[in-house]
Amino acid sequence: MNFTKHLAWIAGGLALLLAITFALPPGKARGFDVAGYGNLPILEGGRVKPLDSVARNALLVIHSRQGFRHEGRNIGPDEWVLDLMYRPQVADAQQIFVIDDLEVLGLIGAKQTKNRNYFSFTELGPHLDEIQKQAANAQAVTPQKRTRFQSAIANLFDRVFLYYRLRNTLQLAGSPGLGWELQSLGGADAAPRHADLTQLAHFRILPPLAGAPPEAWQSIGQALTAAGTGGALHPGLIPMAKLNAAYVANNPAAFNAALAEMKTLVNGLKPDALGHANREVVYNRAQPFFAGMIIFLAAFLAVCVSWVWKPELLRPTAFGLLFAGTIVQTLGLFFRIILQGRPPVTNLYSSAVFVGWGIVVLGLIIEKMYRNGFGTATASLFGFASLIVAQHLGESGDTMEMMRAVLDSNFWLATHVVTITIGYSGTFLAGAIAIAYALRKHIITVPDPETDRALSDMAFGIICFALFFSFVGTVLGGIWADQSWGRFWGWDPKENGALLIVLWNAIILHARLAGYVRDRGIMVMAIFGNVITALSWFGVNMLGVGLHSYGFMDQAFWALLGFCSSQLVLMGICWAPSRFWEPRPGARA
Amino acid sequence: MIKTYASRFWSLLKSFQVTIVMLALLMCLVLLCTLAQVEMGTAGAVNAYMRSFIVWGDFSLVPFRVPIFPGGALVGLILACNLMAKTLDMKRTWAKAGMWLVHLGLIILFAGEFVAGMMQVDTNLSIEVGQTVNYVSSYKTMELALVDVTDPAYDDVHSIPESLLSKNRPIPVPGTPVTLSVKKFFPNAELANLPAGQTSLATAGVGPGVQVVERPTATADGEVNQVSAFVEVLAGGRSLGVWLVSNALGAPQGFVHEGRAYTLSMRLLRQYLPYAFTLKQFRHDVYPGTDIPKNFSSLVQVVNPSRKESREVLIFMNQPLRYEGKTFYQASFGKNDTLSVLSVVENPGWLLPYVSCVLVSLGLLVHFTIVLRRSLKRRQEKLEG
Repeated sequence: MNFTKHLAWIAGGLALLLAITFALPPGKARGFDVAGYGNLPILEGGRVKPLDSVARNALLVIHSRQGFRHEGRNIGPDEWVLDLMYRPQVADAQQIFVIDDLEVLGLIGAKQTKNRNYFSFTELGPHLDEIQKQAANAQAVTPQKRTRFQSAIANLFDRVFLYYRLRNTLQLAGSPGLGWELQSLGGADAAPRHADLTQLAHFRILPPLAGAPPEAWQSIGQALTAAGTGGALHPGLIPMAKLNAAYVANNPAAFNAALAEMKTLVNGLKPDALGHANREVVYNRAQPFFAGMIIFLAAFLAVCVSWVWKPELLRPTAFGLLFAGTIVQTLGLFFRIILQGRPPVTNLYSSAVFVGWGIVVLGLIIEKMYRNGFGTATASLFGFASLIVAQHLGESGDTMEMMRAVLDSNFWLATHVVTITIGYSGTFLAGAIAIAYALRKHIITVPDPETDRALSDMAFGIICFALFFSFVGTVLGGIWADQSWGRFWGWDPKENGALLIVLWNAIILHARLAGYVRDRGIMVMAIFGNVITALSWFGVNMLGVGLHSYGFMDQAFWALLGFCSSQLVLMGICWAPSRFWEPRPGARA
Repeated sequence: MIKTYASRFWSLLKSFQVTIVMLALLMCLVLLCTLAQVEMGTAGAVNAYMRSFIVWGDFSLVPFRVPIFPGGALVGLILACNLMAKTLDMKRTWAKAGMWLVHLGLIILFAGEFVAGMMQVDTNLSIEVGQTVNYVSSYKTMELALVDVTDPAYDDVHSIPESLLSKNRPIPVPGTPVTLSVKKFFPNAELANLPAGQTSLATAGVGPGVQVVERPTATADGEVNQVSAFVEVLAGGRSLGVWLVSNALGAPQGFVHEGRAYTLSMRLLRQYLPYAFTLKQFRHDVYPGTDIPKNFSSLVQVVNPSRKESREVLIFMNQPLRYEGKTFYQASFGKNDTLSVLSVVENPGWLLPYVSCVLVSLGLLVHFTIVLRRSLKRRQEKLEG
């Protein structure tokens, strides 16, 4: 008895330990302190962040992963971006561009040989003109109306352009480097080179000088232009030139010394920037939502096994894992809140993370109340699924982008957005319990009214909870709209989506109250709640109309369609009487 | 007999069947309305599905419109009646206190939406930096403005609404010797240079050189019809000429009669205000190094002689100005950040949703607390027994 209790704690503790190991800094690459270089703060996308974030997001966009293997070594984002900026000849040979679309592969004259095809910048080189021409045609079409080929080619062009900009941010690719630029400041064709560098720069690495406005970060090109036209030399250019020279000369000791010099300088000019960047790097490395995803999967597997083998041992273990996963996810959310200075939900990505968080917290509560494993099973599975969704949504780049003016209101983000997202969590969890109920009915043929009753109580309670939060969230949204657009309700697609959830939950409760549906009917209706919530969460963004359509996405249409049809099938399974699966009396064995 | 019908009707009205059927119909309507917005634009879809009693469909097989679905107004009305019947029928016990609050709040919410649908007026106010504006304009509706501009200090404005122009009747303008006769009216038209060899109905102003081609009226959001008309100006028993007026034409056209100068122009319908706004500064901030807008704000001087008031107000995103029954929101901008567009809303029922929100939230909290307590008590008893 005691051992089982301890096992739950041990499992949870191990999971937490695993999550912490993610956050530990990696070692030096070839002697260079690349992780330290990734800690340098820069300004990009309107906010100050570590260079590591830029490198990770760029590699994620270009390669769909945050690292790759090249010549027998694992190359991380920091080392990749250093090579790209200082030794483009090395980076250009690395096969990192993913191209899946057959027509695009045909355009560049490559046959698809494997499941995925990876190309290096050098390999794409001869086709760049054609890619640019086709992409220009595609970009003239609005994103919703593009064909598959047009979307793919526009996407490839964006990725190549991002790569090209990074390649020309600190020095023009192919030029001898920053030290040479500094020596030839007054040279004949220096000014156009500086202008090119300014225009192509993807980020600004030189902190604002004392007395300048706090957002006046400069790119290398801007600082060179200023110095070339008689202005003062930005003191950051010197250590940057040393870093450049040391990396190219393959001199780790000089590189690490120059990095320390640069950090001292940054600390002098912008005392809080380095600390902030360090915190974000820890968050980047820890990938708390990825760790949480793995732990939830482990919890789900444990609870599944517990139904057939050693339930008294494995059920608490699964609960312990779910608890550990929830802690990891909560910490991740806290990190985001602190880094952004915003409430937890600011875009589609964070809404997926937060929906998952709501589901697992609710699941923990009902598991604590009912102790039959269903809370753990449904919460861990749906928590896992929502984090997978988040993982895919996060592939489009920085997940902590700045808020557009109309959304720039922490009060409404904290009230309306959070409430409505908790409403989504509730509806999904009720649907998940209903699915568990349906499957269980067909798998376990022995009647068990006790568990049936418990599941139906759970689903009912959560539907009440979801109705409360989705209604309050919807009305708060109306009030926000009244504050910012001048109308409480405008039948905008996103508003309609929220209203559909409220109406559906209200229908379920009234149908139960009037006695039109009983346990199984409520369960069928609860599964349909999943369809409605998914449609109003993602579907309305695909319509591309209305004031709320800032979360546009085009890839997820088929995934959404698949999810909705699977739910309809599950509704059918739930609706089919359980004796459908039982051997009929009189039938042959 | 009558009594039985009445009681039957009453029991139907307060029944759960009606509630559920109406909620389901409302869901279908909301879904249809959302999908229709892709084709019809938000305003068109809302008018067709939500603000109508019947949703009409056009089929090529039959020559007339066919009712295909009950409209949002009808469903909403029945649902509101059902709600009220249900509320009256509810047991007046403390256990139902939460439900009372919820249903009362919902009735207020319905009333709020009804008031908004009937009485809300949306206009806008475009103002350039340094300019003073004392009127708001409609988004789509036009007016034909006849302005006596003889006195440089004072304009005498006469407005003829679009709806009157379309009736093709002579329109005497009160307070002036002028009568306008509409020769031809186009709800939407495209203007171009008149090709050689063609003649225009117009005889004065810029009209004789312009070709007018009728177009179908615009339905999408943000599209404005180019309302055009050939108007003959009659004064003192004789014709002064036929003018082409259209909001697609730029400056107003003028004529002189009996020493008084008049201008004639088709423009967005204006409502003059007893106060004036002067735009002192417009700001459009972006996040450094990006085009992502961070903030829009208009610093406005409000001058209201009737209140002896003159003060500065900063209107920015999520921070509108509520003034004399109207609310002014930062909506848009233009002309290289020197033009600010404020949207102006007048809705006497704007407070109702706020009241409703508080009542329903409170009601749901009370009710679910009662339910939770009851079920916990039942569990406890079961454990003990």
